[in-house]
Amino acid sequence: MPSRRRTLLKVIILGDSGVGKTSLMNQYVNKKFSNQYKATIGADFLTKEVQFEDRLFTLQIWDTAGQERFQSLGVAFYRGADCCVLVYDVNSMKSFDNLNNWREEFLIQASPSDPENFPFVVIGNKIDVDGGNSRVVSEKKARAWCASKGNIPYFETSAKEGINVEEAFQCIAKNALKSGEEEEIYLPDTIDVASNSQSRSSGCEC
Amino acid sequence: MHETEIHDLSDDADYAASQQQGSASIMRSDSGRQSSSSEPDGAEVVYSKDNVTIHPTQFASERISGRLKLIKQGSSLFMTWIPYKGQSSNARLSEKDRNLYTIRAVPFTEVRSVRRHTPALGWQYIIVVLSSGLAFPPLYFYNGGVKEFLATIKQHVFLVRSAEDANVFLINDFENPLQRTLSSLELPRAVSVGSGHSTSISVGESPLVETQERSNRNVRDGRLSVSEYSGRPRQKSQDPARDLSIHVLEKFSLVTKFARETTSQIFGEAHTNGFGAIEKRRYNQSSIDQPQKVSNSVEKVPDEAPIASDPLEKISCMKHNLGEEAATDVGNFELINCEEFDKLALVWGKPRQPALGPEEWVTFLDSEGRITDSKALRKRIFYGGVEHILRKEVWAFLLGYHAYDSTYAEREYFRSLKKSEYETIKNQWQSISPEQAKRFTKFRERKGLIDKDVVRTDRSLSFYDGDDNPNVNLLRDILLTYSFYNFDLGYCQGMSDLLSPILFVMGDESESFWCFVSLMERLGPNFNRDQNGMHTQLFAISKLVELLDSPLHNYFKQHDCLNYFFCFRWVLIQFKREFEYEKTMRLWEVLWTHYLSEHLHLYVCVAILKRYRNKIMGEQMDFDTLLKFINELSGQIELDAVLRDAEALCICAGENGAACIPPGTPPSLPIDNGLWYPQQDDVL
Repeated sequence: MPSRRRTLLKVIILGDSGVGKTSLMNQYVNKKFSNQYKATIGADFLTKEVQFEDRLFTLQIWDTAGQERFQSLGVAFYRGADCCVLVYDVNSMKSFDNLNNWREEFLIQASPSDPENFPFVVIGNKIDVDGGNSRVVSEKKARAWCASKGNIPYFETSAKEGINVEEAFQCIAKNALKSGEEEEIYLPDTIDVASNSQSRSSGCEC
Repeated sequence: MHETEIHDLSDDADYAASQQQGSASIMRSDSGRQSSSSEPDGAEVVYSKDNVTIHPTQFASERISGRLKLIKQGSSLFMTWIPYKGQSSNARLSEKDRNLYTIRAVPFTEVRSVRRHTPALGWQYIIVVLSSGLAFPPLYFYNGGVKEFLATIKQHVFLVRSAEDANVFLINDFENPLQRTLSSLELPRAVSVGSGHSTSISVGESPLVETQERSNRNVRDGRLSVSEYSGRPRQKSQDPARDLSIHVLEKFSLVTKFARETTSQIFGEAHTNGFGAIEKRRYNQSSIDQPQKVSNSVEKVPDEAPIASDPLEKISCMKHNLGEEAATDVGNFELINCEEFDKLALVWGKPRQPALGPEEWVTFLDSEGRITDSKALRKRIFYGGVEHILRKEVWAFLLGYHAYDSTYAEREYFRSLKKSEYETIKNQWQSISPEQAKRFTKFRERKGLIDKDVVRTDRSLSFYDGDDNPNVNLLRDILLTYSFYNFDLGYCQGMSDLLSPILFVMGDESESFWCFVSLMERLGPNFNRDQNGMHTQLFAISKLVELLDSPLHNYFKQHDCLNYFFCFRWVLIQFKREFEYEKTMRLWEVLWTHYLSEHLHLYVCVAILKRYRNKIMGEQMDFDTLLKFINELSGQIELDAVLRDAEALCICAGENGAACIPPGTPPSLPIDNGLWYPQQDDVL
C-alpha cells in the first residue's frame, strides 16, 4: 500500500425522508437508537475514527435532509466526498425507486472526477419492522439494481436493532479509502488496481 | 448617509433652533453664571459653544442641542453640556431624556481623552472618555469650534496629542507608558501589557460581551445601581487584562445607553451634593467588589491566534478596512461612517423588558377591543415579549390573522367564519376514500411525508408526547389541510417545526391553521422548490456580515464559506431548533413585531456569528467545522443578549443594512400577487 498522508474520509448519506439516515449514522457512531430523532434540517455530520492496516482515519459521515426540495443544497455538502451511501426503506417502494434519482443527483452535484467508478454503497434499512412482514422491496430486486449500476455493494440493516450496521460502514469506509487513493495516486499500481476490482465485484462481502 | 442627514435638516427642530439662536459662539464669556445654574461660585466660563448636539437615535427629530462649556474653578477645569430647554416641538423627547443626557460639571481630572472625529461630510464631533472607562455620547459641533475647545483645554490642563493617533488628545497622561498605549488607537492585540496577559484574551472578551454583562446585571437587579459601576475603576487597576478590555470598550465608544445613564446619575447626584462629593462618592464606593462574570467558555480564544478585530469594536479599523474595500467588493453599499457607530453606542445594551402582562395588555385595547396604537404595542413586545397566558390572544394580531383595529365582536364573527372555511378545506382531503387514494399518488406521498414528520416533532414536550397523542394528530390534520389550502407549496420539512408552537399556543385547530397560514404567507418562500427564498436570505446575511464585520466576511470568503449554508437551519425554521421551546416563542413574537425591521432575524444571524467570530477565526474553522460548530450551538445561545446585539446591529446598519436585503426577501410579503409557487409535477 502506498504510503501517503490521508486522514479524513468523507461519506455522504442520501435517501428519502424517513428511511433512517440519521438513525444509521447514530447507530454506527454512537451505538444508540432513538425514536425521537427530528427530521434533519440542512445537514450535519458525525465523525468516527477507523483503523485500516495500522493506519487511523477519520470517517466524516454526512447526514442530509431527505426531502427532494432541499437537494439543491447538496452542492455545498457533497463536494470532496469519498463515498456515497444510498439508503432506502425496505418497506417503501417509493424510497427504493428514488435511489436512482439520488444517485444521479449526487453525481451531478458532487461532480467527482471519475463518476463511472465513484464508490456508492446501498443500504436497505428497517428490516426489523413488523418482523419483515411489511417488506415490499425484495433483496433480489435491490441486488439486481445494484448490479446494474456497476456492482454497488449492498447491505440490509436495522438501525434500530443494530443489525449489519457495523458491517455496512466498514465497507463504506473501505470504499471511501480506495476512492481517495485513486484520486490522489496516479501511479497505476498493479496490485492496488487488482485488489480494487476484486473488492468491487465481490460486493464488499469480504 | 450624510447627504440624507443634510437634506432632512429642514425638518430638524434642532436645526431650526440653531438658526434662530444664531451661530456666533461666545468665547470666554462672563455671562455663564447667569446662563446656567450648574456653575458654582467663583467659576469662570472659559469656553462656551452653542448648538453642540447629541444624536440619541438615528432620527434627526430626536437630536438634542445644547451649550457646551468649559468652566474654570480654582485650579480645576470642568466641562458641562446643558441641553436647551423647550427648544423642541418633539413630544418624544421628554424632559427626562434631556436630563439623562445632561453633562453636569465633569472635572477634567476624571477625563482620560478626547477624540476628535472629522467626517468627510457632516459635522465634526468629539467623544469624551472618562478614566472610569465610560464615555459620553458624541458631541456634534453644528457651529464648529472643536479646535478652540481643545485649545482652551490645553491652556488649563495637561493635554497631549496621542503619538499613535493625531485625533486623540490625552489628558492627565503622566508619562505612563501603559496608559499612553492603551489610550491610543492601536489594535488591541498589538498592545503589549506588562502583566503577561495575552491581549487576545481581551479581544475575545469583546465590548459586546462586556456591555451585555453590564446590562445583564441591570436586568437582574431590576434597577440601576450606581455603586456597582463606580466600583469599576478600582477593580480595573488590579486586572490589566480586564483593564484593557475596558479600554477597548471606551476607545470605540461602544457605550451603552445604560452606561451613560449611570454616568449621568453619578454626576447628577454629585451635582446635588455639591462639587467635592463627586470624587468622595466614587472612591468610597470603589471598595465594593464586583463579582466578575466569567465569559462563556466557548468564547475563549486560543492566545496564539491572530484575529482581525471586530470593526464594531474599533472605529479606525473599520474605516481602514471598509475604506480599502469600498471600491471593490462592497459595491454600491455605502460605507458605514463613524457617526453610524456612535449611534450604535447609544443603544447597545438596551435592557430587555419583562414580558407584556395582562394588566398592561388591556391598556392597549379600547372599550370595544381595538388596539389603538399598534406601533406602541409592537414596540412593547419587541423589547419584552408577551407573557405566555396572553400569547393566544396577541399572536393572532402579530401574525396578521386578526386586524389590530378589529373589535371583540368582529373578531368573534371572523373566527366563526374562518372555522367553517377551515372545515371546508379539511373536508377536501378527508373525503378522499382509500380507493381514491390508491389512484392519488401525490396525496399518498404528501400524507406519508407529513405522517413521518409529525411523529418526530417536539415529542419530548408533554404537549406532544406519548402514543396516540391527539395533538400530534392535530399537527397532521392542519399540515395536510394546509397542503390543500396551498397545494402548489404543499408540505415541506420544517413546516411541522413552525406549526408546533402555534398549535401549542393557540390550542384551537382552526385558529392554529389560520395563524399558520398567516405565517406561511411570509415564510412560504423558505420552502419553495427552487430554494429561492432561502438563497435570498443567506445572500442578505452575507451582505450584512460584509457590512458589519468585514474581517469576518473576508475570513468566510477565504475559507469558501460565503454560501452561508451553515445558517440554513436558523433561517428555514426561524431558530426553532436553536433555542428551548419557551425561548423560541419569545424570539418569534419579537421577530413578528417587525418593529425595527421585517428582517431582524437576519441581524440575529449576524449577531450570533459576531458573538463567536473570534472563536471561528481563531480556530481557523473551515466550512465543515463551522457547520458542525454552529449546529452544536443549539441550546447554548443566550437569547436576550443576542436580541440586544441584533437590535444594535440593525440600528447601526441603518439604511445600508436595509440595502443589503433584496426586496421581497422573506418574511416580507411577496412582491407580486401572481403564482408564488410554480407548479411542478414533482412537487410533493
